[in-house]
Amino acid sequence: MNHDRPSVPETPQVVAGLLAEFDRPETLVAAAARVKAAGYRTWDCHSPFPVHGIDPAMGIRPTILPWLVVGAGTAGVLVALVMQWWTNAVDYPLNISGKPLFSLPANIPVTFELLILFSALTAFLGALALNGLPFFSNPIFSNPRFRRVTNDRFFVSISAADPAFGEEATRAFLQSLDGVAVVEPFHRPAAPPKIPAAFHIAGALAVCMACFPPLLIAYARATKSAKPRIHVWPDMDSQAKYQTQTAHPLFPDRRSMRAGVPGTVAVGRLNADERLYEGKDGEQWVTSVPVEIDAERMRRGKERYEIYCAPCHGLSGEGDGIMAQRALEREEPWVRRSLVDDYAVKLPVGSIFNTIRHGKNTMLPYGAQVPPADRWAIVLYVKALQRAQNATIDDVPEELRDKLQ
Amino acid sequence: MSDLAIRADDNTGNDPLRRAPLALGGQTYASVTETVCAVAEREGTTRAWRIAFAVSATLTLAFFASIGYLIVTGVGVWGNTNPVYWAFPIVNFVFWIGIGHAGTLISAILFLFRQKWRTSINRFAEAMTIFAVMCAGIFPGIHVGRVWLAYWLAPYPNQMLLWPNFRSPLLWDVFAVSTYATVSAMFWYLGMVPDLATLRDRAKTPIRRTLYGLFALGWHGSARQWHRYERAYLLLAALAAPLVLSVHSVVSFDFAVSQVPGWHTTIFPPYFVAGAIFSGFAMVVTLMVPARAFFGLKNLVTVRHLENMNKIILLTSLIVGYAYGTELFISWYSGSTYERFAFFNRAFGPLGWGYGLMVLCNVLVPQLFWFKKCRTTPWIMLVVAVLVNVGMWFERFVIIVGSLSRDYLPSSWGHYVPTAIDLLMLVGSFGLFFTLFLLFCRYLPMVAIAEVKPVLPVTKPADETA
Amino acid sequence: MHTKEVPNIADEPNTLADVGPRLRRYAAIVGGVALALALISGLFIGDGGKYLLHSYLTSYCFFLSLSLGGLFFVAVQHASRAGWSVSVRRIAEILGGNLPLMALLALPILVPVLLGNGHLYPWVDRAYLDAHPVVAQKTAWLNGWSFAGRCAVYFAIWALMARFFLNGSTKQDEQGGTELTLRMERWSPLALILFALTITCASVDLVMSLSPEWFSTIFGVYYFSGSTVGALATIIVVACLLQRAGRLTHAITVEHYHELGKLLFAFVVFWGYIAFSQYMLIWYANIPEETRYYLARQTGGAGAVVGPWAYVSLLLVAGHLLIPFVGLLSRHVKRNRKLLVGWAVWLLVFHWVDMYWLVMPSLGRPGLPFGFTDVFCILGLGGAYVAGTLWIAGDRRWIAVKDPRMSEALVFENT
Repeated sequence: MNHDRPSVPETPQVVAGLLAEFDRPETLVAAAARVKAAGYRTWDCHSPFPVHGIDPAMGIRPTILPWLVVGAGTAGVLVALVMQWWTNAVDYPLNISGKPLFSLPANIPVTFELLILFSALTAFLGALALNGLPFFSNPIFSNPRFRRVTNDRFFVSISAADPAFGEEATRAFLQSLDGVAVVEPFHRPAAPPKIPAAFHIAGALAVCMACFPPLLIAYARATKSAKPRIHVWPDMDSQAKYQTQTAHPLFPDRRSMRAGVPGTVAVGRLNADERLYEGKDGEQWVTSVPVEIDAERMRRGKERYEIYCAPCHGLSGEGDGIMAQRALEREEPWVRRSLVDDYAVKLPVGSIFNTIRHGKNTMLPYGAQVPPADRWAIVLYVKALQRAQNATIDDVPEELRDKLQ
Repeated sequence: MSDLAIRADDNTGNDPLRRAPLALGGQTYASVTETVCAVAEREGTTRAWRIAFAVSATLTLAFFASIGYLIVTGVGVWGNTNPVYWAFPIVNFVFWIGIGHAGTLISAILFLFRQKWRTSINRFAEAMTIFAVMCAGIFPGIHVGRVWLAYWLAPYPNQMLLWPNFRSPLLWDVFAVSTYATVSAMFWYLGMVPDLATLRDRAKTPIRRTLYGLFALGWHGSARQWHRYERAYLLLAALAAPLVLSVHSVVSFDFAVSQVPGWHTTIFPPYFVAGAIFSGFAMVVTLMVPARAFFGLKNLVTVRHLENMNKIILLTSLIVGYAYGTELFISWYSGSTYERFAFFNRAFGPLGWGYGLMVLCNVLVPQLFWFKKCRTTPWIMLVVAVLVNVGMWFERFVIIVGSLSRDYLPSSWGHYVPTAIDLLMLVGSFGLFFTLFLLFCRYLPMVAIAEVKPVLPVTKPADETA
Repeated sequence: MHTKEVPNIADEPNTLADVGPRLRRYAAIVGGVALALALISGLFIGDGGKYLLHSYLTSYCFFLSLSLGGLFFVAVQHASRAGWSVSVRRIAEILGGNLPLMALLALPILVPVLLGNGHLYPWVDRAYLDAHPVVAQKTAWLNGWSFAGRCAVYFAIWALMARFFLNGSTKQDEQGGTELTLRMERWSPLALILFALTITCASVDLVMSLSPEWFSTIFGVYYFSGSTVGALATIIVVACLLQRAGRLTHAITVEHYHELGKLLFAFVVFWGYIAFSQYMLIWYANIPEETRYYLARQTGGAGAVVGPWAYVSLLLVAGHLLIPFVGLLSRHVKRNRKLLVGWAVWLLVFHWVDMYWLVMPSLGRPGLPFGFTDVFCILGLGGAYVAGTLWIAGDRRWIAVKDPRMSEALVFENT
């Protein structure tokens, strides 16, 4: 492997250790055992791939990495659980379709993922850290033959810093190993290069700057501000319209919020006929339906009743609609409201009309969904139901009386 | 029994008394290094590579152009509408994430099962995972509508005093896919460090030496380093294995936690995982068959490797078929009108052609792999693999679009029509995938050199077993 | 690179021909007496045998799962051409060989169904079908003769497959050679397909139909995951017992226990994954026809939302997943035979609790049902199972001595 590399640098070099080169993994393992037996401590073996059996030969003790990973994994689980509990159940409780605020089944996936993420990051970064990587200025690279370590050669390296190291003695020892091809030194600069002050200053500056964001956040959380929140994307902040409580240049009083002009009514909204539109006659409720009564209207009323009213009040008006049944099933509070009992029969039709329009107690208003004509149709149908539920045998037509007897 | 013999030039035999060699052609350590590094060290590129790159780069540009158009105009450029609110974008997301799973399976799960044949293909497959996850991640990113607010998905303290909803599968997806991307990248990179060191040590130009050297982190093959490296590799494998199961399970939860008939079945998690492995392996085969021919890797990625992958494709095809059958049976067994209709509609409704295609490509076609001839012939396995990926895309399409277009209320039923942008994005995502992949092939070591060397015949003594 | 010396196992004792008949007799006596006592105890309860049937089914499903798991183990080892497992495979083959006996022991479950007794399976009852139209819709599947016929098919297939692998492997003890290995390998994929289909349908029939209105597509996988945990635990325990009795001393090494421990750990996690998937999806969608199943396993039947069964459910999660997860994580534990066997026994206990959790809530009675009947059923079926295993084993060797990959298994080392 001939490369054009920069020549040996000018700075004075000193022997940093010796390398012994082998070409088979088995010989490396045997050599390792002998080096260990010879009492060396600051030494290593190098290979293009992990060699089976070298760990016991070198006496490499199991790394603590698995323990670090277990610890990180546990931390991941705790962080995930606390995060989900605090954010969704305490700080800003979110009711998602009635699920418990801290729902363990739903919180397991994120917990599991963070377990894996924390563990994996620790395994990766821990392996690099324990291996002392990145380390680009390793003196061992100074020997060009060493480049074959990532290809097809195996090496033993003994550092000059080892107490048992002696350049001649160690060289002789290495040459005596089985299968050794070459023994060569590797060098390092005599004086370790000094890190320029600029790096230290830059590093300190970086650390200081890194403290700013969390401090800013903490400050912002602890204090109040009169300014609106920071918008990273001012998407709909400036809209081409006048907002409430802002100034408006057109009007003399400069208010954006205007009251309706007195005495005006929106087109189609006059609704002058109080009897028709409100079911009222002065202060009283009307007692007769102010629209034409015919079979068509009754049919319409039945249809509309069954759409809007029957779910709660029931098809027969007795208050046993499916909503009521469901509430009973689920043992939840529900007030059954019959439309055909004595109280309801006595109500003036205008009152019933008004209840449809505005709602009453827990019943929501239906004025928006049911136009006035339909409301009267429903009122009509309700009266029919009342008649039906409180009927006597005389109400039944002659022809059908026998069927009932 | 003659097809069982393991010959010097053909390691697809099956002799119980010995394990087949995993590399052919009398490989030595140096020859492996040479074979793999030669591709990255080549001066200039081959014409085939340039043509492929031109095509994929064009598609990539089209992809990004359509994304730009989407962001400027809005999600209305897609065909998503009432009632099919999720369509191509999510189908593409699930498709690409699924493909990514094979890489992790090969790296992690086959490693845990001590399947030494994985060493020739794991680097390749892991790279495929990374690129597939990149393609996948783009789709949920752009389908949120206001893409520039996607960071709201992360739980960070903000001035709105809001936190994301951790009870939502869509948020679980954020965590799962991010974790998956991170862990896959770390696993891939860690495995590559020794090989980058190989390229560093062979580098002839200063630029290459610096770049490879930088990413090789100063690796020097020390046994002590290997020891920690191997422990980390094992730990990452042991973590990545359940991770890969969890990621596609979480993706399946997107659908299974709902009440939509055809989506809400408990078998979704393992079914989706099996389907992901299925499509992933098919993609590895699709890429590997031409790559080994073009890049001269036939002696390292042998027919036996391909055959083993095809067996896994067959296995997962059967699992997917089992899931189809179980869903059909239980939908009848449930007695629920909605469940029964959902599956009846899948097969006989307007998207029935998609269902037929899915069953054909996923269940029927891979059965060819029962035959050794089909398992060991590159052009046949390439056709099968491509069809499998087509089938798996349609599976997600049929499930997602099919169930949404017709669920509980017939008055809400609708018909889905994809737009040109939908189709362009699907095709364009392949462009991005292949562009990244071609760059990987060109500059990085495609085969895990340091993992193949220990499993070469020359390393093993005569009676040590695999 | 060092090479391991292959130990010679040809001469070490590997059959139970000497103590087998005697142990078999004891087990059969214990089994027979306990079953009789179970019958008496069951009748004593006075509910027409309903409790007894449920209790019997619980223990039955437990022992059935061990044999099915063993069969699966064997088929997978053949299909994947595994080398490490060759020395423990015979144990699983013999466990699978018990399946014909399980067919016989299924009669107390099948006969009442055929006679129209709906105490165990409500769908047998005409009145129940009238009250539950949803179940009536599935009468094509859920009716006595169809049910019994299917069970016959399952057992026929299982018995055939178990015999194929056990006899094939045993024949190889005499013959040696590679043809039998190749033959078993060739048929193993089909065996796995048939296994998947039959175990799914069997678990649907035997267990899921106890709640005929409920359904879950993952149920077959759930039962399968539990059965592999049970089978692996049983293999570990049996291997240990054999070695304590002086057999297979060098054939099964610490490396095998380590590997079995790893697989046990993996399947414990797999079980947890499947159980969680099923639970969480049903919990999340909150559809009453599905949640009813879990509510029954959460209440005590008195109408309260949380009751005694909640404790059993939590105990199951803790004992079948969380605690063994932590316990089996360490490499150290998996390589220590005593500790590993301890965990195997623990998991067998909790596998039984899993079956109990699946079956007993269908009794529909308040509180937790556990009493003499259950103990007698466990002992009764257990005794029968042990006796059956020893009978199947007979003079056979407990190790596939002439398997071509035996040398691989004997020098096998975990990384």
